[in-house]
Amino acid sequence: MDDYVTGVLTNIGLFSFLALSAYLLLIAGEMSFGQQAFFGVGAYSGGILTAIYGLPLPVAALVAMLLGSLCAFLVGLPTLRLRGLYFAMATLAAAEMARILFELFRFQRQIGGELVGPDGTQGFRGIRWVFERGVEPAGYLALVWGLLLIALVVFLLMERSRLGATLRAIGEDPDLARSCGISVERFKLGVAAAAGALAALGGVLFAHHNTYIEPRNFDIMLGVHSLAYALIGGLGTAFGPLLGVMVDLGVLEGSRVFQGYRMIAFGGLVAILLIFRPRGLLDEKVVHWLRARFS
Amino acid sequence: MLVDLIQNTLDGLTAGAAYALLAIGFTLIFGVLRRINLSYGPAIMLGCYAATWFHVQFQVGLLVLAALTLAATVLAGAYVERLCFAPHRDRSAIAAMVASFAIWMQLEELATLVLPNHLYAFPALYEGGPLSLGPFTLRAEALVMFAVTVLACLALQRLLYRSRFGLSVRAVIDQPVAARLVGINLPWVFVRVFAVASALGAVAGYLIVASAGQVTPMLGMWSTLKGMLAMMLGGLGSLPGAIVGGLALGLIEAHSQWFFGPQVRDLTAYFLLFALLALRPSGLWTTPRHG
Repeated sequence: MDDYVTGVLTNIGLFSFLALSAYLLLIAGEMSFGQQAFFGVGAYSGGILTAIYGLPLPVAALVAMLLGSLCAFLVGLPTLRLRGLYFAMATLAAAEMARILFELFRFQRQIGGELVGPDGTQGFRGIRWVFERGVEPAGYLALVWGLLLIALVVFLLMERSRLGATLRAIGEDPDLARSCGISVERFKLGVAAAAGALAALGGVLFAHHNTYIEPRNFDIMLGVHSLAYALIGGLGTAFGPLLGVMVDLGVLEGSRVFQGYRMIAFGGLVAILLIFRPRGLLDEKVVHWLRARFS
Repeated sequence: MLVDLIQNTLDGLTAGAAYALLAIGFTLIFGVLRRINLSYGPAIMLGCYAATWFHVQFQVGLLVLAALTLAATVLAGAYVERLCFAPHRDRSAIAAMVASFAIWMQLEELATLVLPNHLYAFPALYEGGPLSLGPFTLRAEALVMFAVTVLACLALQRLLYRSRFGLSVRAVIDQPVAARLVGINLPWVFVRVFAVASALGAVAGYLIVASAGQVTPMLGMWSTLKGMLAMMLGGLGSLPGAIVGGLALGLIEAHSQWFFGPQVRDLTAYFLLFALLALRPSGLWTTPRHG
């Protein structure tokens, strides 16, 4: 496998975490424009923990996930009772605040004779934990996809459980769910926290793959892309967001056919797709049909 | 100190006039369709880029440029309406919003394919320096901006309250179901509202790029975000609210920039938006509404 293919596949894996994070909120009926902020929190905190404090990556990833879910919980607390577009706007505002805070964030230390750490708009160089341990690109690819596979299995189990049914009930009609005795607010907060952790995990892996991050990486474009991934791929199954990422990063960017026109192709594709399949390619109907067929 | 405060207030109001124009267009679409059009700014950007392209090729005059901006923006707006809003009329607001984002990327890439440099000069409205009023300075463009904003508001007021089209728009805003029952052609109202909103956006965009003397690819995102912020500050779907919200945003930005610098300026604006949504989601300036 050449480096280009490995790079594309790794990126597909990385952004799938963010797409899954957006998907989790979407099935609970909330559209967040701000998941990129938790991706950024994960990237920055994970990077600081390995590059400055020398912690091993797994520990850093765990702490970053906790931090991501804490931030998501705090943002969700005042906003999750808002409906639809209002929630979307509030998460957008929160994420842009986070991006500007990254721009103001300076925390540099001397490590081995050079300054390491976030330097405001100059970005954060030298997140080399993975690189220094001589992990091959293929090895990192396996790590990313291994973790993604675990996340997917958890999603599939969750969706078959009572919890999954509860989330979809809330997403379908929160008032009806509430009248069935479901504590909608508590479930939504839990979902927001879990989605924050998922995005943060993607962020840690992203930071260690790129070794360099800057505040611009976590702008609104990234957030809306992750939403679009979930919506193109479909809201019927957790494979949906993955399919969405593959369509964009794999087919459109990876194939290089649309070089220079990628956004025109992707944008048009999404708009047309949403007309005919407003809940994505793998929507609930298709998933039910497939399940009836193959099980 | 006091001189600076007043100067900042003047600058803030100038920027606020442009924000108000952007917000009126945004809020008109939201009020009638109950949808957020993320492609609003990029459509304006495409209009300004089309005019810039003509300027680069043929060196045309200011009025021709204004007309070109208007025509191209309205055309782009109509494209957005057909592709993102007409098909989702009775369906998900979320799908429409994401579709409008998808078209945003299309319009932006189209504009940068036609004019790939990062920056293009745009002929300025007025070549002379700023006017001075005692210790204060005021750019001539600012006066034009104010005058045009006031005129645009008056024209919109007339359109909404003195014409049959305006009556049907207000009917759709207040009671969409009843409006349909009395025979108002909803799709046609939507298309025309989009055209009016795009035209207002084009006027704002033209004045903004002509005051700045340049166009950059940031214009699309900038217009959408500023229009949306100003609309939210004033209350979703309220026209007087959009004007107040635009001016308020301009003032807040000018003062916080002077005290704390540009990054905190943006932070303040987003923080206000967030706090307003969390504490008072109906906006600061709203009339009771139904449905």
